[in-house]
Amino acid sequence: MTSIEAIGRARATRRLNPTVARYLSAFRTTRGIIGLTLLGILVLAAVLAPVLFPGGYDQQGSTSLTGMSAAHPFGLDEFGRDILTRSVYGLRIDLSLIFAAVPLSMALGMVLGLAGAISERLGEAVQRLFDVVIGFPGLLLGICLVAVLGPGWLALFLTILISGMPTAGRLARAAWLSQQSREYVLAARVLGVPKPKVLTRHIVPNAMDSIVVNGSVWMVIGVYIEAGLSIVGLGVQPPTPSLGVLLNNGLRFVTQAPTYLIGPALILVLLALAFSLIADALNEAVNR
Amino acid sequence: MSNPTVVATAARPDSGRALLRVRNLRTEFKVGQGRVQAVNDVSFDIHPGDVLGIVGESGSGKSVTARSIMRMVRAPGEIVGGSVEFGGEDLLLLPEREMRRRRGSGVAMVFQDPQAALNPVMTIGDQIIEALTLHGTEKRTARGRALELLDQVGIPDSGVKIDQYPHQFSGGMRQRVVIAIALANDPVLLIADEPTTALDVTIQAQILRLLLRLREELGLAIAIITHDMGVVAEMCSRVAVMYGGRVVEQGTVEQVLRTPRHPYTAALLAAMPRLDDERLGQPLPAIPGSPPDPSALPPGCSFAPRCRFAEDGCRHEVPALLQVGDEDQLSACFVAQRGVAVNVTPAFDPVAVDPVAAEPVPVEDVLVEHRTAVDTDTVLEVRDLRVDVGSRRRGLFHRDPPVYAVDSVSLAVHAGETVGLVGESGCGKSTLSRSIVGITPVAGGSVEVDGEDVTSMGDEQVARIRSSVQYVFQDPYASLNPRRTVRQSLAEALSLRGLRGAELEAESHALMDRVGLRREYLDRYPHAFSGGQRQRIGIARALARRPKVLILDEPVSALDMSIQAQIINLLEELQRELGLGYLFIAHDLSVVRHLSDRVAVMYLGRIVETGTAAEVYGDPQHPYTVALLSSSPTPTVEERTREQIVLQGDLPSPANPPSGCRFRTRCPIGPLVHPERTICAEQDPELLPRHNHQAAACHFPGELL
Amino acid sequence: MTRFLLRKAPSVFFVLFASSIIAFALPRLAPGDVAVVLAGENPDAQTIAAIREQLGLNKSPVLQYADWVGGLFRGDLGESFLLHRSVASLIGDRVGSTLELAVLSTLFVIVIGAGLGIMAGSARIGWVRALLDFTDSLFVAIPSFVVGLGLILLFGVFNRWLPVSGEVGVLQNPAIGIQYLVLPSLALALGPAAVVARFIQTEMATMRKAEFVDLAVSKGASRRRITFRHVFRNSLGSAVVAVGLQVGHVLAGAVVIEAIFARNGLGQLAVTSVQSRDFTVLQVLILGAVFVAVVCQLFTEIILAALDPRIRLGE
Repeated sequence: MTSIEAIGRARATRRLNPTVARYLSAFRTTRGIIGLTLLGILVLAAVLAPVLFPGGYDQQGSTSLTGMSAAHPFGLDEFGRDILTRSVYGLRIDLSLIFAAVPLSMALGMVLGLAGAISERLGEAVQRLFDVVIGFPGLLLGICLVAVLGPGWLALFLTILISGMPTAGRLARAAWLSQQSREYVLAARVLGVPKPKVLTRHIVPNAMDSIVVNGSVWMVIGVYIEAGLSIVGLGVQPPTPSLGVLLNNGLRFVTQAPTYLIGPALILVLLALAFSLIADALNEAVNR
Repeated sequence: MSNPTVVATAARPDSGRALLRVRNLRTEFKVGQGRVQAVNDVSFDIHPGDVLGIVGESGSGKSVTARSIMRMVRAPGEIVGGSVEFGGEDLLLLPEREMRRRRGSGVAMVFQDPQAALNPVMTIGDQIIEALTLHGTEKRTARGRALELLDQVGIPDSGVKIDQYPHQFSGGMRQRVVIAIALANDPVLLIADEPTTALDVTIQAQILRLLLRLREELGLAIAIITHDMGVVAEMCSRVAVMYGGRVVEQGTVEQVLRTPRHPYTAALLAAMPRLDDERLGQPLPAIPGSPPDPSALPPGCSFAPRCRFAEDGCRHEVPALLQVGDEDQLSACFVAQRGVAVNVTPAFDPVAVDPVAAEPVPVEDVLVEHRTAVDTDTVLEVRDLRVDVGSRRRGLFHRDPPVYAVDSVSLAVHAGETVGLVGESGCGKSTLSRSIVGITPVAGGSVEVDGEDVTSMGDEQVARIRSSVQYVFQDPYASLNPRRTVRQSLAEALSLRGLRGAELEAESHALMDRVGLRREYLDRYPHAFSGGQRQRIGIARALARRPKVLILDEPVSALDMSIQAQIINLLEELQRELGLGYLFIAHDLSVVRHLSDRVAVMYLGRIVETGTAAEVYGDPQHPYTVALLSSSPTPTVEERTREQIVLQGDLPSPANPPSGCRFRTRCPIGPLVHPERTICAEQDPELLPRHNHQAAACHFPGELL
Repeated sequence: MTRFLLRKAPSVFFVLFASSIIAFALPRLAPGDVAVVLAGENPDAQTIAAIREQLGLNKSPVLQYADWVGGLFRGDLGESFLLHRSVASLIGDRVGSTLELAVLSTLFVIVIGAGLGIMAGSARIGWVRALLDFTDSLFVAIPSFVVGLGLILLFGVFNRWLPVSGEVGVLQNPAIGIQYLVLPSLALALGPAAVVARFIQTEMATMRKAEFVDLAVSKGASRRRITFRHVFRNSLGSAVVAVGLQVGHVLAGAVVIEAIFARNGLGQLAVTSVQSRDFTVLQVLILGAVFVAVVCQLFTEIILAALDPRIRLGE
């Protein structure tokens, strides 16, 4: 029934690689546009933080723990520092973490997931390793790494990196397994196309779909891992601000200044919302 | 084993006594902003005792019509007009609650895929009982009635089976369960939506027979939705032909099959290969183009763009369904309504309907030509091939026993020759073909390509040799990577021949020309093509490696009827021009008959009969071949009185084949009927020569005719 | 069924074995001498020597590992050199608190998840479905600690309806205990519940398209009957899988939720032992968490197999 639309779409994007074209089509939907805009604003604010708030995040004032006001939209903290400024600087840490760790995690996960293409045994072995990583629920892995490395950026980076790999790897392996019996992959084999080429031409593009979607989901999870560990005091260490550190501080003064929490939480939720919307839009686009 | 029912074509009772009266039914689907008319102004009657066939290709609206009667059209579909009168009331006007009471009790439905139609987590007993209690049967008596129903539809051991789950049943048995559910509340009308499409021929014969028996015993009226003219000829008393959402022709089966009054029906019947085909070696009079997309129907008659009788008027105005010729035969064609005969016998009509069709060649010449070809070089030879499809999981303490889906099979394909390989699903024919090209590993025996054994070669050599055996897949939708353009798909194959740049470009163009596609299509993605066009691309890709043999794995069975002939013609033409050898795998015996020089019949991993096509079809020696031929429905009315040999039971599992002759558990001349024939259970029959080229693996060959 | 379980056994054992290696290796991977690390801040030479003796650090690592695991099997979980208490008693004091939280959360996950999922999977009115979809998406996206912070502000700060800090054992004082337990459990459960709901909704949508639903309609079955007997019954498998997968998240989330609501559970114990580098406690906690997660996983698979006649009766 929809073949006419399909033909229309095919004409519109005939020259473009269809994989890329489909990812791009995600950003023509309402969700995609909102998500991308929101993310754009947050990233821009984070990048421009030194310009926007030239005083830095440690500028103290005379009053402390005030509520929200026009001058200080998120209020002032226990040392009279502007919470908005600290939130934006905190955002820098969070963004640097996820933009460094998540793409790497997805890429490594995919490569490891496709190890089965080299040898059946290797593929199985990698899956068993993934089982173990998955057996360490969420923050538990972070706790282990902090125990060994001490708290800080590196431990957080590794936690996000390692905990994201199994899902990406399993998605890649699932794509590999399902594509292997696809007739067009068999057709390539019958033609005599060498194995590595079959992998890069027919299987990787397919695995990419689910991994790209998964990657945008893990961006959110990455932020949560940072925040979670920082709230319990095992993440970023004060006075450096991160969204989690600010929440931790806010919690301590929740009765005196309930609004302390709201600013950082809002930024966190907006960031999560942006990536969730992008993930949804991408998911819809690849399944179209 | 005599045929219990010769379908009576009762004289038309006056239409006032119609059981079901459909008038001007219209069903639309909302797609995006637009509306697609899936069923457009459809009217027909079903009388008590009628078996009405609603026949059409994909997208013709036949299934939506069936669902509309039951008011089971799924969103975004919507019935927007017309009436469905049943039992004196218009079903379309009933409130949903009332309609629910009619479903199952007045009108019941049988579905296409018995695998999917049963709830996997409920026992079949519970599913039948549910149907009963929904319409007021007491829980206590329901189980007894369910057992009765299972007996009625021919399920043995009903007392045990009633507590089993669907996955414990074979496909044919599941379809019997679905029929039992449909019969639960004594409906007067049964709507069967492609009830045998998912089943093998021998199982199809069982189910069709069951339906006819039930019609006889219970006085049911049946509406069968099908794409198979053979099923119509075998089962129905009346037929309605649908095309582009409309009924284009209606009448008794005799009328429509003997003297079709609509060009579409006529062209379709002419384009179908037949078991008793006399047009061997000639191109089939294929219908050009492909069935219309329901979302973009042409303004006038939807068949006009493909019709050789089309006039100006046909392209602007939709013809009404009016009586043409005999009483009761209706046709929606301006030309036929003027009294022009549209069923000119195509054998005497060399109008090149297909642009790629060559001049018809006299039958004798072609046969001679093929014969000489057969004597030339053997390009593919398979010897004693065994393929183990058992699980390759190696446990710590045990190893799963081997399961030979192909067990000691030998066959040869010569240049310029077509070898047809027929058998039901699960007989191992696809496994065999896939192991020849190296997709499935071989457990024993040898595969020789050009006289060299590829099973004992290094990778590099294999790649070189294997390129001369290429494969065309069944499903043209799955065999092309949706993310790659036609150009990329062809380049992938051509570059392996070392072609680059301009050379590669020129060769791609040549390939497109060869398979009858326009060069401009090279930069399109597969989804922009119809099924027939995709199959042409698949063939072009296979040809890109300059093979000597093509393995054709059911290359036309996924295509619409009117497209099949185009691809068959293309294959024949390519063979003539390139001298290719074909191993043609199919379950459709008529297609195999049309294309093949020699035929091999497979059953449960073994070849049970081989010979030239004329020998095997004309004088089958193995009882399985006889049964297959007898079970295949043919679209001629004359055939309906013939005695059918219907095989009992299902194909046994290759994991545990019967001792001795593998066919003995279903054989109509074996120990089942003649208990004294113990040899069948004790000794495995060899494939021994009978006549010239014919051989059969049977202890009592030629006994069953 | 037995064969099904036997097939699962090797991978379960492997995960447990690998986790025990990791837990064992932790203090040895940390920079510095293990004994010094374990002795905590400002240790005296005597303590260090005692630890070295007790852990057999002079022996080969394989023997040390064998001793440690052997001890675990005998019920000897080791001793905290910082707190001078046995790990068993430290855990014993806190396990009840975490157990209460986990049990009530899981209950919430099942009830809320299934309820929301079935509603979303069978809602026919456009705006109802949109609302349910939105609620779902919201809680899928928002992490447990933000939900927790929200609940604290809403129920504990702006309105003083429920206690938001500390705890009272439910077994000692059910009426008060539940009040302390409700908010953290809810915070922990809403996210996973939304994920479960989403799973059920998607699966029900798929099942609704199945041909056996058509057969049920053609029998004359009512919409409600089709939803429960056919659609939901066939979606139950993936609902169970979803719940099973979320149990791990509940456990992990407990660490943060306990911190936020100032509950003195195992999560808090884990955090303090990391901060004070009390590795003997941490090792046991990590292995225990993995063990619980693996057992939940296994339970899921068993329930799944029991639900599906194709697995139950297979082989």
